[in-house]
Amino acid sequence: MNLKDLKDLIDFLLQRDIAEFELEHGEVKLRLKRTAAFQTPAPPTSEAAPLAVPGSPPRLQMAVSSPEATAAATATPEAEEAGMHIVRSPMVGTFYEAPSPGTPPCVKIGDTVNVGQLLCIVEAMKLMNEIESDAAGVIVKRYVENAQAVEYGQPLFAIRASRS
Amino acid sequence: MFNKVLIANRGEIALRILCACKELGLQTVAIYSQADRHSLHVRFADEAICIGPPALARSYLHIPAIVSAAEITGAGAIHPGYGLLSENAHFAEVCETRGIKFIGPPAEVVRMMGEKQKARAAMQRAGVGIIRGSEGIVENEGEALEWARSLGFPLLVKASAGGGGRGMRVVRDRFELPELFRQARAEAQAAFGNGDLYLEQFLPRPRHIEFQVLGDSYGNVASLGERECSIQRRHQKLIEESPSVKMTPELRATTGRQLEKTLGALGYVNAGTVEFLMNPEGALFFIEMNARIQVEHPITEMVTGVDLVKAQIRIAMGDRVESALRGPVRLHGHAMECRINAEHPQSFTPSAGMITAFSLPGGIGVRVDTAAYQGAVIPPHYDSLIAKLVVRGADRQEALSRMERALDMFIVGGIHTSIPLHRRILADPDFRCGNIHTEFMERFMPTSRKWVGEETPAAQPGVLPGSELFRLLRTDLLQNQ
Repeated sequence: MNLKDLKDLIDFLLQRDIAEFELEHGEVKLRLKRTAAFQTPAPPTSEAAPLAVPGSPPRLQMAVSSPEATAAATATPEAEEAGMHIVRSPMVGTFYEAPSPGTPPCVKIGDTVNVGQLLCIVEAMKLMNEIESDAAGVIVKRYVENAQAVEYGQPLFAIRASRS
Repeated sequence: MFNKVLIANRGEIALRILCACKELGLQTVAIYSQADRHSLHVRFADEAICIGPPALARSYLHIPAIVSAAEITGAGAIHPGYGLLSENAHFAEVCETRGIKFIGPPAEVVRMMGEKQKARAAMQRAGVGIIRGSEGIVENEGEALEWARSLGFPLLVKASAGGGGRGMRVVRDRFELPELFRQARAEAQAAFGNGDLYLEQFLPRPRHIEFQVLGDSYGNVASLGERECSIQRRHQKLIEESPSVKMTPELRATTGRQLEKTLGALGYVNAGTVEFLMNPEGALFFIEMNARIQVEHPITEMVTGVDLVKAQIRIAMGDRVESALRGPVRLHGHAMECRINAEHPQSFTPSAGMITAFSLPGGIGVRVDTAAYQGAVIPPHYDSLIAKLVVRGADRQEALSRMERALDMFIVGGIHTSIPLHRRILADPDFRCGNIHTEFMERFMPTSRKWVGEETPAAQPGVLPGSELFRLLRTDLLQNQ
């Protein structure tokens, strides 16, 4: 499914006044739910998880209510199919890209990382938990925004693993 | 005051809490493990957070994950439901220190009631009748034998931190006491992290009677009548009813008043259930108190008209008990509940898998609390309760016939359920005339391993397979849990 297909789908749903729609296509699970106005790109709130449409920048962000966040957060991005390793959050909390405000992010896209290297922080109950990489390779994608709420299993980064 | 509640539970009770929150206009946050992604309470909540893998210890019992979920969603209160963390005093404390309202009693009250021996002592001091037993924890087999001299046999060795029959042994004589004492301790340590034991006289064939109470944070406690839960298998209740056929209006009133006074003085807040055993003479003896909402709360709701979960939430918001109750408590009619479990009706082995057909009975006086639906997959990781079938009739006779017709019209395909077992119990002559006690279910138990899975003679109501042999095996069954 590419960006154009997705846009066509949304138009179709709007025209037909469809309130709720669910689709499974390969590794991607898509669920759209219409509220008062059909919400399209909006800044992520603590309830939203961006639905990554892999391989097609810019990323389409759906501000969706939580049942969809479920689908988004646990969907296996197509990146995994392409042999990349997905780093997922091991806990519920708030994602921070850097150990403290104002300091540079731990990693950025294009960085090479080793196993055990600090990737980010997930704060839970005022404790800053260091999230270490469980793979060696190059960071090719980040799925979450700084200060975004994350749940267990939510994709954080995609790493193109290097051959050992 | 809070406007968003995080439901720290799963299954039917999570849905029940969600219903109350919705009706009160509160926002809801569902938490779920990866095994419960497609649960109904997740579907209907305003927000849902995955908190961990299927294993309980890493999800529904993992306090940091739950509190973290409350913090990132801004939930002002947590309803713990029943089981899981509902009687975990540490969890209640963590909520309190983080400014999240725990919908239940204060942590120190949860702690007191959770230590069964302490709760017994507190009730005894308040003048509530308790079963004769040890005063305090029994440290070792020697002390136990000392106590046995005055208490006599048979004796019950019980875990102070316990419940659900674990860490419990029936001791018939002084020769088997040391070994059973050791077994109970080991089991209690493993199940509850606390091997403290106490002793009680063993009451033969008691009836299990419990009182529902509601307290506010101003010292007022109301009693909402009793439930009888004598139909149990291995300390798991199967059928409950209200009122009890053995309860008199005088005993109900006296006990109710005594509990209101005692629990008010102890500072009990929110919903709770006080459990008693009744002897053949009709006297009540306190055994323990559950400081939470119970599975069988719907039958009290059916006879009193009180929405107990809403009352819990209102009390947590600061309401007085009398306004949470919306009027004086009156009992009308007779209610009964069957706990429908996903298990084989004879072998009791759990039945996991997909529900291929699901059609619920309805009509006058029938209520079903369930989170199951056609297409749902019952995961193997959690308890097997899939639905509570509750009926109310003008009297016990009508409740019985209504329950029978509702069971007949309850269709579940794809998994085994206890529905055939419930039908057999309802057909039993002793059950029909209310001649029941906590050992009633023995007549439906297989006598030996070779009966498991086969169509056994016990399938016909009233037939006891090798009854004399069975009586001898009875205490073995209790001990080998």
